[in-house]
Amino acid sequence: MRIDESQCIGCLQCVPYCPVGAIKEENSVVRVDEEECVECGCCRRMSDCGAIFQPELAWPRVLRAQFSDPLTVHPSTGGGGRGTEETKTNEVTGRYPPGAIGIAVEMGRPGIGTRLADVEKVAQAILPLGVGFEKDNPTYHLFEDPAAGRLRPEVRNERVLSAILEFRTTVAQAPEVLKVLKRAAGEVDTVFSVNIAAVLEPDGSQPAALVARAAGLEIRPNGKNNLGLGKRQPCPLGRER
Amino acid sequence: MSHTNHRTGTYESLQKDFAVIMMPARGINEVDTGLRLQQFLQIGYRHHPVNAGPARTGDAFMTAPEKLIAHERKSKIAQIVFDDRKNLEGFIRDLVAADLGFSIIVSGLFDEVEDVCQRVGVKRHTTLCSLGVWGRVDRLPGSEVMDIATMCGHGMIAFNLVKDVIERLKRRSLSLDEAVKTLTRPCACGVFNPARARDLLSRLAAEA
Repeated sequence: MRIDESQCIGCLQCVPYCPVGAIKEENSVVRVDEEECVECGCCRRMSDCGAIFQPELAWPRVLRAQFSDPLTVHPSTGGGGRGTEETKTNEVTGRYPPGAIGIAVEMGRPGIGTRLADVEKVAQAILPLGVGFEKDNPTYHLFEDPAAGRLRPEVRNERVLSAILEFRTTVAQAPEVLKVLKRAAGEVDTVFSVNIAAVLEPDGSQPAALVARAAGLEIRPNGKNNLGLGKRQPCPLGRER
Repeated sequence: MSHTNHRTGTYESLQKDFAVIMMPARGINEVDTGLRLQQFLQIGYRHHPVNAGPARTGDAFMTAPEKLIAHERKSKIAQIVFDDRKNLEGFIRDLVAADLGFSIIVSGLFDEVEDVCQRVGVKRHTTLCSLGVWGRVDRLPGSEVMDIATMCGHGMIAFNLVKDVIERLKRRSLSLDEAVKTLTRPCACGVFNPARARDLLSRLAAEA
């Protein structure tokens, strides 16, 4: 993002809207610190002055918008947002079958942002455990060598609001994966939010909670519940039960 | 992924926070997507939601329901937020009857959602749980900021904005209505819960 000085009235109203604190006033001039800016577009949408604009973004800077602005479509996946349908459509897609554990590590969330180099650090920490990253996730397309967790060199210094490492593992292996992630948490300069997903047992218990406990962790009391109402072939509209 | 997951807060506060999403499985059951999403929102508006939105159109809190529903024709996902469990229950009951055929996801306290599901005769299929935030948690603000900011999982509600609003509210240079509106606007998907934000902000203002 940039600020057109000829249009800026110096009201500073845009400053608190920046999720990463990249808008600064220096010597009575308001500027965007382009090194910190993640191109999320929030300041532009929230400001009425018309002074904030986004120049055309070239590769690899365009990744900032793709991974930060929820209104931008990822060319690699054709979708918005930063992840996949994950558990949201699991009863239809079977992405996570019974017995599988889905783990997603959202680097930079909440509200801190991340350099992609930190995403690479965490990827390389967990890959020796034999997990494979989800190919439908836009982060996958940043790897030069997904099996080695090596990012394309030119993207490492790009900064985004968040990027997700998403993968599938087993109930038996998941506690070890979580322990490795815990160690990796000490080696990055950002935060990450950890998601764990699984199909419920027939008695309604959550395998994800058992896995977390086995790793010495507790799940939070709130989360997402797929109600199992999706169908591969929906009924024609208007036919209520 | 998971833009309605990782909402922080006390148990009591989270009892007033339920986000419901409907979406098709891409390439599998995308039949009459816009019409089904419209119907989802139409049913939802019968049950007193506090926010709603098709992704990408934005400004859900300030947009009239009929306009949002019209926008939904072009969307791939719809979301609606409730601050009351009974309203959520009524909505889910009507959704089951409507049999829209797309996936329905409810974000909220697991035990509360499970109770609602039992009452309407639905068996949950999959859960996505949060193991919290790891890494440089020293860079995060306090719970009074986090509980509000994490209601936008895309991170559009800046920590600095929440701090600024709280400060102005305490100084009485901003009304509670203005504070809620200021914080709701950046969330383009309409999953922010302005009713819960009002509750949290009014407590903070009372402490000042």
